[in-house]
Amino acid sequence: MSVAVRSRGYPFSLLFSLLILLCILNTSLFSQERFRRNPPFPDPLPELTLPKIESASLSNGLEVSIIRRQDLPVISIHLIVYAGESFSPDALPGLATFTANMVNKGAVGLSSSRITETIETIGGKFSSETHPDYSVISFTFLEDYLDTALETLGKMILQPTFPRIEVRNVVRTMHYDLLGRKSSPAFVGRRTLLRILFEEHPYRNIAFNETVTRNLNRDELLSFFEKYYRPNNAKLILIGNLTLRTAVRKVSRYLNTWENKDIETEDINPPQPNETLKLCIVDLPEEEDATITIGNTILLRDYDDYFPTTVLNQVLGGSPHSRLFMNLRESKGYAYFAFSTVEFFKACGILTIQERVRPNVIFESIAESLNEISRISSQVVPDYELEQAKSYLIGNFPLRIEDLEYYSSRLAAIQAFELGEAHWDSYYQSMMLISPENVYEIARQSSLQSPVVVVVGNIQELSPYLQEFDLEVYDTNGEFQYTIKKGETE
Amino acid sequence: MSRRLSFIFCISSLFLFGGILLSAQEDERPLFEVTTFQLENGLQVILSEDYSLPLVSVVLAYNVGSINEPPKKTGMAYMLENLMFQGSRNIGSMQHIHFISKIGGILNAVTTEDRTIFYQTVPASQLALVLWLESDRMISLDIHPSKVKRTRDSLIEEIKQRKLDDPYFESSVLFDQLLYPNKAYSHPVIGSETDLREMTIEDVQDFYTKYYIPNNAVLCITGNFEKRKAIQLVKKYFTTIRPGKPVPFFPAKEHLKSQEIVRNVENYLAPYPGFHLGYRISSPDSPDNYTLAIIEYILLHGKSSRLQERMIYEDRFASHLSGGIELKKNLATFKIFVKNNTETLRVRSQKSIFDEIDKLKSDFISENELNKAKNMFKRDYLDQFTTLADKGIFLVKFHLSRKKNSNFLEELKKYLAVTPSDIIGIVNRYFTEERVVLNIKIK
Repeated sequence: MSVAVRSRGYPFSLLFSLLILLCILNTSLFSQERFRRNPPFPDPLPELTLPKIESASLSNGLEVSIIRRQDLPVISIHLIVYAGESFSPDALPGLATFTANMVNKGAVGLSSSRITETIETIGGKFSSETHPDYSVISFTFLEDYLDTALETLGKMILQPTFPRIEVRNVVRTMHYDLLGRKSSPAFVGRRTLLRILFEEHPYRNIAFNETVTRNLNRDELLSFFEKYYRPNNAKLILIGNLTLRTAVRKVSRYLNTWENKDIETEDINPPQPNETLKLCIVDLPEEEDATITIGNTILLRDYDDYFPTTVLNQVLGGSPHSRLFMNLRESKGYAYFAFSTVEFFKACGILTIQERVRPNVIFESIAESLNEISRISSQVVPDYELEQAKSYLIGNFPLRIEDLEYYSSRLAAIQAFELGEAHWDSYYQSMMLISPENVYEIARQSSLQSPVVVVVGNIQELSPYLQEFDLEVYDTNGEFQYTIKKGETE
Repeated sequence: MSRRLSFIFCISSLFLFGGILLSAQEDERPLFEVTTFQLENGLQVILSEDYSLPLVSVVLAYNVGSINEPPKKTGMAYMLENLMFQGSRNIGSMQHIHFISKIGGILNAVTTEDRTIFYQTVPASQLALVLWLESDRMISLDIHPSKVKRTRDSLIEEIKQRKLDDPYFESSVLFDQLLYPNKAYSHPVIGSETDLREMTIEDVQDFYTKYYIPNNAVLCITGNFEKRKAIQLVKKYFTTIRPGKPVPFFPAKEHLKSQEIVRNVENYLAPYPGFHLGYRISSPDSPDNYTLAIIEYILLHGKSSRLQERMIYEDRFASHLSGGIELKKNLATFKIFVKNNTETLRVRSQKSIFDEIDKLKSDFISENELNKAKNMFKRDYLDQFTTLADKGIFLVKFHLSRKKNSNFLEELKKYLAVTPSDIIGIVNRYFTEERVVLNIKIK
């Protein structure tokens, strides 16, 4: 190469300068590969293909569904019973939860400890969960033991004994569990919010506290179980490597004698959303920070509102890139965290914001949160922000259903509310179709701008910062105590 | 093979199946397939495709942990884990987290006594992004004095907070010092405040240069990707990273022989009395560990396990009972921790444990009880493959263990082959009076 250069007669000084330049470029620009400087572009996202939900009904009315998963040699069974907390009598909130908790506590010929041993012998795990509209009894085990699992479940449902000693044990466990949660400001804030939002509505039962456990007894349990735990009021989902034919044959063997019965239930009307801004406070004197819970109910026209409402929540506060976090934590530095969530019940949705902030900026934090609610309710979300929110939700959805617990709970909700494919393997397409106008429509029509605000923390420290509001004071059980008038302090 | 292509000098595919083990309904059913290879710079790579969801998980494990920390430099490995999120040449501070969470992904890291693992799960379209991020912090971590100071302050705060959150933290540190007389094994991963304060930037830089190098790492990709494309991307981002000096061999240690050690500690923070009990057992790669793992389930796991049933549900001597086998590099111990409501119950609890161990020394366990313990073990073993990240973490740990050349479903078979006689033999061998007890008395 040097010979060729000389033959063209370039002066040595020019060559030397070029050499120096190359050295400089080499150290400053080429010391790393070019591709390391910037993030790479993504590939096309593969399709989301989920197993189909196949269903059949037994002669007693029990609907059996299977979702075939072949990844692990494990089967999970989920019995959905339309006996959620809203079905508990007004005088006995907590009864639905108590009943679901008692299901595995004894059957004819099987003590509670024998049931536990049987479950553990098949590599199993058992749990129950009570929602406002339904309860779910879940049972996961090694796939070789489907018969043992169904036989055990059949005995628990068809021949429960509800031993008195277990009644006492479960009541005591519920009592201490609820008592322990009273030191959590997030739990207390949410429970107080639900109690206020659903004051005149059957969903108020979901906000029960430990005092209800005094009234829970075996007679009420038996009566509730007899009334609602019926095959025509239940659905059974099986997830694992099995066919619908096998599932129906085996379930039928153990649950076909479960007697159906006419159940009179009334449709629950949507609750009236809170119409004027209400500020409440709960005293937790030990708390150094303030926890703010803000929320209101959202009326849903149908379940397709799920998608724009979910996008709305994502833009507002679904992740650390959403408006609330960026504003209250990253920009203003008020909050340790600031997120929002949206939940869907049969009669309504509920949007909740939770933030943990320094006490001296409690007023500013509430004001900024209300500003963000106002902004999303009055202005169409810009395209780029909407696409970012949808992209997050689409990317995150398979990650959430990767978790068997979420996978099962989503399937339970889909089956319980009969939501259909749009909410399962058409999730991507359903989400992609959401426009800024769809989101705006939801925000505009709802009463988000007049929420209930619940502050949990040291009332003596916080109330001076909140003198611009009438403050309703609640105790940690969610019971109203008194009002601190505007301009006054505790 | 040309030199250019020789970046992969070893590619092997392990077709892993466990039909008989996994299901009685089918003869053999593949669980998942794994491909392994190594780059010229020493980086070991594991690929396992899974097309069930449009996701991909990337796990990068460095074969370094708190055991490798020089004397008086405790907390170094955990410090490096934290610094890894504070930026490298092309990625700003905390941007790694920002890039992943913005696309709906999740990420985390964990430092143990013998390894440091970084993992992230993202939409399958973003594999290149994660490899770009991981390779940048492997090649050019920005160890700036201000970042080291910030991290040190936050770790010291974390130590204080951990002491507040866990009133038994200090007694567990003291117990480890009794159980593992070798200092490399006995200090907590989080380190000590004194050591962190005296740590210099040169210390941190040296540790990074020595251990966070391709020839001391395993990269695992699990999920929805095309193998050929993934190999290209791994090559693109990692093959030009220069290897470090060979990592110093960690000398194998053996447990010291000693008589029973019983110590008492008065704890100002603990609300209730309790105790730590430990047995020094075989090394992690000993075949005895198959039986020891099943013994762990017989004694401790599940409400119907011997100790849980007796101490928590029947006699109600204890309010908390936990424990199991602990593996630290080439040493293993069997630890039990108990909390009691009173001093009397503490004494009774210890007696209950020794009684149950004595029973296991002389009486054959029933087939039913053994089967229960094995099924619970199997279920937990399979739970390690539930998510892509779990699977990736399992694969890198398995690869870094001395069992890396074996099939992990063959391993499961060995646990499930434990017999009642094995249990009697192993309990008699390891659960002797050469135990270590630390009683916690409340002040």
